[in-house]
Amino acid sequence: MARYGMVMDVSSCLGCRACMAACSQWNQTPFWAEDFEGKWRTRVTPLEEGKFPEVRKVFFPTICMHCENPPCHSVCPTGATYINKDGIVLIDYDLCLGCGYCIEACPYDARYEYEKEDLEKDEFYFGEDARHHQVHIDKCTFCVDRLEEGLEPSCAATCVGHARIFGDLDDPNSEAAKLVNSGKAKPLGEYMGAKPKVYYIK
Amino acid sequence: MDLVQQHTWGWFIAIYLFFGGLGGATMALGILGELRFKMGKWFGIGTAMLGLAILSFGLIWLVLDLIDPFRFLLAFWVKGIGHSWIARGMVIINGAYIFGVLYALAAFYGWETFKKWMGYLAMFCGFGVTTYTGLLLNANVGIPFWHTPALPVLFTVSAFSTGCALLMWVLAALKSHEADHYFHFIEGFDIFLISLELLVIFAYFDFARLGNAAVMKSAQLLLHNPMFTIGFLVMGLIMPLILEAYASTKEHSKGLAVFASLLVLVGGFLLRYLIVWAGVFQYPHGLAG
Ligand code: SF4
Ligand code: SF4
Repeated sequence: MARYGMVMDVSSCLGCRACMAACSQWNQTPFWAEDFEGKWRTRVTPLEEGKFPEVRKVFFPTICMHCENPPCHSVCPTGATYINKDGIVLIDYDLCLGCGYCIEACPYDARYEYEKEDLEKDEFYFGEDARHHQVHIDKCTFCVDRLEEGLEPSCAATCVGHARIFGDLDDPNSEAAKLVNSGKAKPLGEYMGAKPKVYYIK
Repeated sequence: MDLVQQHTWGWFIAIYLFFGGLGGATMALGILGELRFKMGKWFGIGTAMLGLAILSFGLIWLVLDLIDPFRFLLAFWVKGIGHSWIARGMVIINGAYIFGVLYALAAFYGWETFKKWMGYLAMFCGFGVTTYTGLLLNANVGIPFWHTPALPVLFTVSAFSTGCALLMWVLAALKSHEADHYFHFIEGFDIFLISLELLVIFAYFDFARLGNAAVMKSAQLLLHNPMFTIGFLVMGLIMPLILEAYASTKEHSKGLAVFASLLVLVGGFLLRYLIVWAGVFQYPHGLAG
């Protein structure tokens, strides 16, 4: 049993979006969607911080925060959204009713609809290797299938700037746990009470 | 903070919220009329069935809103009942159907004691349907305008007001001393409900005035939308209140009250649609992309 989490070091993110590409290839998420910004498990958003003349541009990576008290889980009627033994919030596609309640409940904009058109495109691009076979609500899984093979999530493995530091927050020797325990990395929107396990160094 | 207006739920959900509340309230008030106001078994059976038919019509829209409507059977798999208002709502709705139908059967065959029990249980479930729709929106922590205890109260009061409006139509068409008596009771109850609704709306917006950025944004969206100010507040609340209050002081003025109830129904729908539309997420800065 682990308690997986991630630390985003915003100052190290170059904005190359290799993570988005890697994630969308591994997880076959709708990179083909017309609304380019819409359907990603992870996003990198360019932001301007500060006021003129003290302005800087930063790139802000986001994913599902794998909350410890996830509102998406509390609203899910069928139990499709569940938390696995390692604290990863997952969706059982067979049970997902597609009501969209979790999209409304997630305070971190982490979920989207994997629609019929997306299934067709998935099959078009990936043929026999297509991984999505039914409509469902989709979001980051911390690449749970890769973890089982001893690999890191594909975004963290690809990150050029070492901006995504993945690890077991219960293992005090992991780099992620050290950053969290030192108080350097902080979660976003703590007041909403979801207890996210993705932390940020700004 | 990044403020983003929600776009996952729209017309279909609003139609469901409206007809669900209307159906639940119609059934509850109709059975009350039979059990307490001597309206007779056919009134009880008729209004219970009318309420369930309206609820069913609403549910069609809920199913159509699913990402794949053919998956609707999964809704019966209510594993999330411990925490999810859709799952709890499913149980309440099923209760409304079961007890509503049993009540109608008992009324038809004249099984008096059983009828009373089923009637009260059906009324309780009807009330539950009107309430849970507000609690359902309330659970979304990222949308602060919905995440307030005022919303379930507002939806419940509004649902009962629309239920009264519909029953006034039914009662106006019936010619009996009991129907007259119940009509005036419902009319008085509706005046009370609309006044209460105005009070809740006032409290809601007073809270929004001092609320965080997302709450204020939602309130602004509503206050700058004529469908809300003119359509709902003036035509759907204040006008019917004045008309019903005036009608209640006059004899033979059912026509006026019936016209007022049409306004209440339109207003009730606008309220659901606009509250859903005005849901604004308050994402921590950088998240909205
Ligand atoms: S970020 Fe959203 S989707 Fe992810 S666990 Fe938290 S509430 Fe659920
Ligand atoms: S869309 Fe699926 S995962 Fe989301 S709340 Fe509904 S049933 Fe649960």
